[in-house]
Amino acid sequence: MPRLVNVKKSVMAADEEHASFIRSMMKQKGVLMINMIGSPGSGKTTLLEKLLPKLNLRCAVIEGDVATSRDAERIAVTGTPVVQINTQGGCHLEANLVRKALRDIPIDDIDVLFVENVGNLVCPAEFDLGETFKMAISSVPEGDDKPLKYPSLFHQARAVLLTKVDVLPYIKFDRSAFWRDVQKLNPGADKFELAVIEGKGLDDLIGAIEDWLKDIRGN
Amino acid sequence: MHEMSIVEALMEQIIEMSQDEDWEAVTRIRLKVGAMRQIVPDILKFCFDVASKGTIMENALLEIDEIPLLIKCDECGYLWSDREFLGMCPKCSSINVNLLNGMELELTNLEVEMKHAKTC
Repeated sequence: MPRLVNVKKSVMAADEEHASFIRSMMKQKGVLMINMIGSPGSGKTTLLEKLLPKLNLRCAVIEGDVATSRDAERIAVTGTPVVQINTQGGCHLEANLVRKALRDIPIDDIDVLFVENVGNLVCPAEFDLGETFKMAISSVPEGDDKPLKYPSLFHQARAVLLTKVDVLPYIKFDRSAFWRDVQKLNPGADKFELAVIEGKGLDDLIGAIEDWLKDIRGN
Repeated sequence: MHEMSIVEALMEQIIEMSQDEDWEAVTRIRLKVGAMRQIVPDILKFCFDVASKGTIMENALLEIDEIPLLIKCDECGYLWSDREFLGMCPKCSSINVNLLNGMELELTNLEVEMKHAKTC
């Protein structure tokens, strides 16, 4: 006779435990942890390269990639502590991997931890890493339809960044449609436009990071 | 393609549950999957069939209850179900809407064969 076993538990329960461990650790240490999610080539690493030297805060970076340590090497040039995670084919980071990587992060001596997720707009949005919030990064060349095509990420992200706005004159991209769709999916999101190579928009983002840090530290 | 990770997490959870039990085999697995989870049921089933070979749940039937989005407008109170989240109330066009259902990813129950059929 078959027997029915009731479970009613999240499938990801084990990983969610790692995520809550990380979340309470960040809370206790007063660290702002940002989970950066965007397509390959949207400019996540370039943003960090330009942002880190200008940010007057103590930062660390966890780099998630399918293979190679190229991104970590680029970050290391800025002098910021960085740990590379290779997912060996995995299309997203999971909390258990981040928890392991945290062993090599000087958590007591930092204010902000950036986690650059594997380049992908779908899967990373579905896995809680224990972050303070998710940041969606979308670049102009990808097209203005990304928010509606990947609603889960844009719905969850606390901040949405549109990068490479310097190429707007050369590409068919309806900027107001992009932001209107973001607004519909996520009315509370903080919105930024950047052209990182030229340094455009970095100051606004730096101001916001300082505010978010004040928020989580309650001052 | 995060279906394989989900299958791995699901199998780990079931194998852990089976450690202290007298289960001969798991024959049926019932899941709740919200429409906002970006999971393709056929891919999930395919991954499960591949990954479950040689385990206690080999040949188990994976049943997926797809949970449609349930959205509520905070402006006019309208409640509706949809396949896509478009973030706007179809009645009053407000964008002040809330996703109530659609993020589920739950192992609801299992059907198992016991090792020693008890007679009473």
